[in-house]
Amino acid sequence: MKSSALKRAGRSAVIPLITVLTAFVLAGLVMLVTGNDPLSSYGAIFDGTGLNWLFPWVSGHNRTIAAQDLQQTLVAAAPLVLTGLSVAFAFRVGLFNIGAQGQYTVASVIAVWVGTVFTSMDPVIHIVLAIFLGALVGAGWAALAGWLKAAFGAHEVISTIMLNWIAIWVASYLFQEGGPLQGTQALGNPVSNTIAGNLHLPVIWGNPELQGLDVGVFLALIVAVLYWAIIRRSTLGYEVRAVGHNPTAATASGMNVARSYIVTMAICGAFAGLAAGIDVFGWEFQVSSTTISTSQVGFLGIAVALLGRNTAIGTVAAALLFGALETGTAAINLNPSSINPELAPQLTLIIEGLVVLLVSTDLIALRLLGLPRKLGWGKPQAATARGDALAVDDPARDPAEALRPEPGL
Amino acid sequence: MTDQTPVLELRAITKRFGPVVANDRVDFDLQAGEVHALLGENGAGKSTLMSVLYGLYSPTSGEILVDGEPVRIGSPGDAIAHGIGMVHQHFMFIPVMTVTENIVLGSEPVKRGSGAALGVLDRRASRRRVQELSDRYGLAVDPDARIEDVSVGMQQRVEILRALYRNARILVLDEPTAVLTAQEITELMAVLERLKADGTAIVFISHKLGEVLEIADRITVLRRGRSMGTVPRAGATEQSLARMVVGRDVIFRVHKDAAQPGRTILSVEDLHVRDDRDLEAVRGASLTVRAGEIVALAGVDGNGQSELVQAITGIREPTAGRIAVDGTEIAGRGVRAATAAGIAHIAEDRHRVGLVLPFTLAENLALRRYRQPPLSRHGWLNLKAIRELAVRLVEAFDVRGGGPDSPASALSGGNQQKLCVAREIDSDPKLLVAHQPTRGLDVGAIEFVHSSLIEQRDAGKAVLLVSLESEEVSALADRVLVIYGGRIVAEFPPDVSDEELGIAMTGGAAAAA
Amino acid sequence: MSIAAPLTPKQGESERLSTVLTTKRVGLGGAALGLIAWILPLPPVLARSPWPSIALGLLAALAGAFVVLDPKHRRLGGVTIFFGLVAIPLALAMTNQSAANVSQVFTWSAVIASGLTFTTPLLFGALGGVISERSGVVNVGIDGMMLMGCYFSVWGAYATGSWVLGMLIGMLSGGLLALVHAYFSIHLRSNQVVSGMAINFLAYGITGYLLVAQFGNNGTPGTVPTVPNLVLPVIKNTAFFGVAFGRTNVLTWAALLLVPVIWWFLFRTRAGLRLRAVGEHPMAASTVGLRVLATRYAAVTVSGVLAALGGVYLADGFDGSFNFQMTDGRGFIALAAVIFGKWNPVGALGATILFGFSSALAYRMETFSATLGTLFQALPYVLTLIAVAGLIGRSRPPAADGVPYVKE
Repeated sequence: MKSSALKRAGRSAVIPLITVLTAFVLAGLVMLVTGNDPLSSYGAIFDGTGLNWLFPWVSGHNRTIAAQDLQQTLVAAAPLVLTGLSVAFAFRVGLFNIGAQGQYTVASVIAVWVGTVFTSMDPVIHIVLAIFLGALVGAGWAALAGWLKAAFGAHEVISTIMLNWIAIWVASYLFQEGGPLQGTQALGNPVSNTIAGNLHLPVIWGNPELQGLDVGVFLALIVAVLYWAIIRRSTLGYEVRAVGHNPTAATASGMNVARSYIVTMAICGAFAGLAAGIDVFGWEFQVSSTTISTSQVGFLGIAVALLGRNTAIGTVAAALLFGALETGTAAINLNPSSINPELAPQLTLIIEGLVVLLVSTDLIALRLLGLPRKLGWGKPQAATARGDALAVDDPARDPAEALRPEPGL
Repeated sequence: MTDQTPVLELRAITKRFGPVVANDRVDFDLQAGEVHALLGENGAGKSTLMSVLYGLYSPTSGEILVDGEPVRIGSPGDAIAHGIGMVHQHFMFIPVMTVTENIVLGSEPVKRGSGAALGVLDRRASRRRVQELSDRYGLAVDPDARIEDVSVGMQQRVEILRALYRNARILVLDEPTAVLTAQEITELMAVLERLKADGTAIVFISHKLGEVLEIADRITVLRRGRSMGTVPRAGATEQSLARMVVGRDVIFRVHKDAAQPGRTILSVEDLHVRDDRDLEAVRGASLTVRAGEIVALAGVDGNGQSELVQAITGIREPTAGRIAVDGTEIAGRGVRAATAAGIAHIAEDRHRVGLVLPFTLAENLALRRYRQPPLSRHGWLNLKAIRELAVRLVEAFDVRGGGPDSPASALSGGNQQKLCVAREIDSDPKLLVAHQPTRGLDVGAIEFVHSSLIEQRDAGKAVLLVSLESEEVSALADRVLVIYGGRIVAEFPPDVSDEELGIAMTGGAAAAA
Repeated sequence: MSIAAPLTPKQGESERLSTVLTTKRVGLGGAALGLIAWILPLPPVLARSPWPSIALGLLAALAGAFVVLDPKHRRLGGVTIFFGLVAIPLALAMTNQSAANVSQVFTWSAVIASGLTFTTPLLFGALGGVISERSGVVNVGIDGMMLMGCYFSVWGAYATGSWVLGMLIGMLSGGLLALVHAYFSIHLRSNQVVSGMAINFLAYGITGYLLVAQFGNNGTPGTVPTVPNLVLPVIKNTAFFGVAFGRTNVLTWAALLLVPVIWWFLFRTRAGLRLRAVGEHPMAASTVGLRVLATRYAAVTVSGVLAALGGVYLADGFDGSFNFQMTDGRGFIALAAVIFGKWNPVGALGATILFGFSSALAYRMETFSATLGTLFQALPYVLTLIAVAGLIGRSRPPAADGVPYVKE
């Protein structure tokens, strides 16, 4: 019993690790081919993440700067946990939520707007209200895709992507020069009003002036626990998983598949909306058309969820990795003598693409290790008739466990 | 006959899937102009053997000889090249394409001249050749109809034509009668006689003793992947074949006492239901089932059974009519209302409808009642209670192959069905709807399901059995209703003859009425 | 039904009326009224009062409301209501503007020229999508393959000094990336949506990385040879057609020409029949000896080449420069056009024209106000959303689209 649980845990950690390593090696090859030194580049990126703070005996870097970098890594990881959970939750019901970016965007618009009006409100209530309303609108934005799927059969991949672009353009419109929500002090810049200092989330580590670590990270962890509880311990999660695995059987058991799609998407949207809330009140304090069109938090959530295999703990770990990558490759944290700071963020995209590509099939990792036989994953099941051979569904192999191929995209 | 070189010979074919041996050193040979039947239960390895022959599976070991020469058949293309044609049990068609397109697909006539290089289809030539073949063998088809719009019988004729179009000398028919009406079966037998006379060698796969004795020249029996020997038709009887098939004398009937029907539990009145294609599948069906009786609904597949069951169990909303369970009206109120009113449902397709395969046994067993205490309270699951339920049911219903925490996909078909039966019976229903509850099961599992249904009846439950197997109907029913064209067209006592039942199932009674 | 009993005159009349005024026709008529309501305030009519449009719009909405009551035609009814109601604010907005402004935006010849510009990359992408999905492989990676075409056509033209070679290099890059998608989704049986998304990220990263690595921080030089426009000798001097079609890019004509070519290929050739068979029912295709995997590989690769051509146009069809992620999600709109166009090249053309022209109008709207111009950028995406949700109706994808094929 114990050992099989250990084996399971081991199995689910080993494959993502191999995946990440392979992605780094392949990206390193790209650097090598284009005349960059992968080792010193990765070294510079590692120093940029602040993770060297944990290993003071290895790196001779300035402890203060390392600490600041690490704070930034954690600040970047917190919203990724939430957008990752947003994508992961949808996977559980068999939907592909590519719309976390749009849900994040609408929520940040609402959060910053609420945060900059009602100035006489009690600060705590004000923050909670703004973040809550942001999450609510994010939920509604996502539920729209769920409803389109449930009512019209519109594929959520298309509709969430369209909702992303709609959100991005509408938000850009709102904050741009002459736009209705442009800040009164913005003076030609496409920026919202700024949230007052007493409404900032408290910083628990580091200097508030230098984007120290705020309490948003706790919110992310709480939501991760909540995610686990919903999936594993609630009737809602049970229904979501049943619908994800087999909507026909779920219907026959009295579950309402359409409702599941809408409710699930709403929860996804709320998660992504919370990510926007902690970003806006944690360190951004204002929203601009530029940040809206360049933000990648929602898209990165896809890679986070896939790498984290849709589990709460995996998602947190994957978010840390991608948060570190984001921070490490940010131009400002890099030593330009090792790698061109313009180049590094592109490297993140390549690594992200490779990770998603590799987790889309675990076969590579498995073949490399010859694992299938050891773990008893040989030919799945006995097949006595041709039909049976096709019907076999081995969830262990599919990273998006419940994501069924569905005709029509 | 034996001194001729067989057109086809399989020598010691073995096919393994992981640890499971689907075929174990099977020998089989076929002469020109004979029908050689391959007989065996579901899962005996008949289809696997033929898939090996047709290049869909590669054998683990063994040898295939065509006209005495060893050949390698690595793909269906190779099989076709050696003159082997296959009529699949589940027809292999592109539903949205026409009859002609399906027949010529893979060796399409192309236009001559510049068209040949580009591979431009010669649609007129295709159509002409299909028509010629159709006329020659008396296999009537509509060359321009889409496959999805033609009857199952015509689809089968198209499959045969497709093999003939490719000049097949060896024709394999995999359970060809399973989907046909009595009339269509007669026609098929005539076509096979004609082909035989023409020198075509035919492999006839079946698990029905009667029709094998009718058409076959020789009979080979498979049991659990092994050949039990080949016998000529002369001298073979149903009893002797049955012994070879199951390895013991078959208990064809489960013991049951006379029914003692009580009050009416299910009453369906003038029910109308539309199917997925928005066509009216159930057209004014009325029926009642009383406590303590098994009512069998017999009929050829596709006459509205599925839609009727879905309406009764709340999965599908009827367009008109009434459904009442013990006085509670449930039509169109959904699955939960039906369950609350006391309906349990052993689904037709356990993989698709009955179970969530990746779920554990415990999770599957909770599917009916996860919303009620003690399994959950205020939206939170009680994992301990769910596990206890599973432990109890796995024990009580002797589900083997896994514990409460193993996924349902790990179980064999029979044990999966036990799981479904356990869950439904344990919900203590007033009405148990069993839709083809023994499909694809072996004899032992069939006995279990049958005796479970009778136990439920004797415990005073109403049982509605929907079955396509007339044997099952006559073994279990206290009353037999016949559904045809979405209506209940006849009612018989359980001892109705197969002829009478067959006539009613194919619309004879409706015409008479 | 000539043997039906003779009808009394009155009965006959109502019978005739009800056959002429079927719900479907009421709906279509309503939608047409709604369209007229849209067009009235625009050139050449240029009505200066909103009232005719408002009246027609309301009428259309009314017709839609009638149609929506029939459960069989709910979608049609919904669309008609939508058409009618949107016409009203539109008419108010248009008549509120000066006639000169309206004429400037809606100079139809220029709208056509600009619309074709926006349509071309979408059309290439959608045609690629049609080929891939007809063979049974969902290609969410169109955007990435398009972006590869963007970068490598510019780089190729820069390196070789020839736009033809640049174009070929661009096509090759899209095909190579498509091969990666093919390998993962066909061979390794990855989830095709996931693999396609990965392809996109990969393309964003690769092109961005190479841009910086090869051209430094200042971007592409902007002096590379570009794909030329086709100057039509006589037509270029005519007033209307000259502006609309006189100087259209070679690739735009190529895209338009590809529509009938691909239609003919899919529905009239042996290879096309086989490709469709593989996408509908690979098992059946395999049992008649077709090579499922090879067919799918070929289709996905061609799909990548076509998508890349869209990218070639986007980058090297204009000023020959490349920017980070310059496709702006056009690949996804192309994907939506595949669905909206019912997996048919001609349908895809219709869908991409709708999206292309709405984009063109959005850009031209900036004449009114730069602010509103930005808002209108969302229009093609809104249209796509409505199209995917409402207008597809009963369209049916290839049955095995997106489902990996397991041979044994």
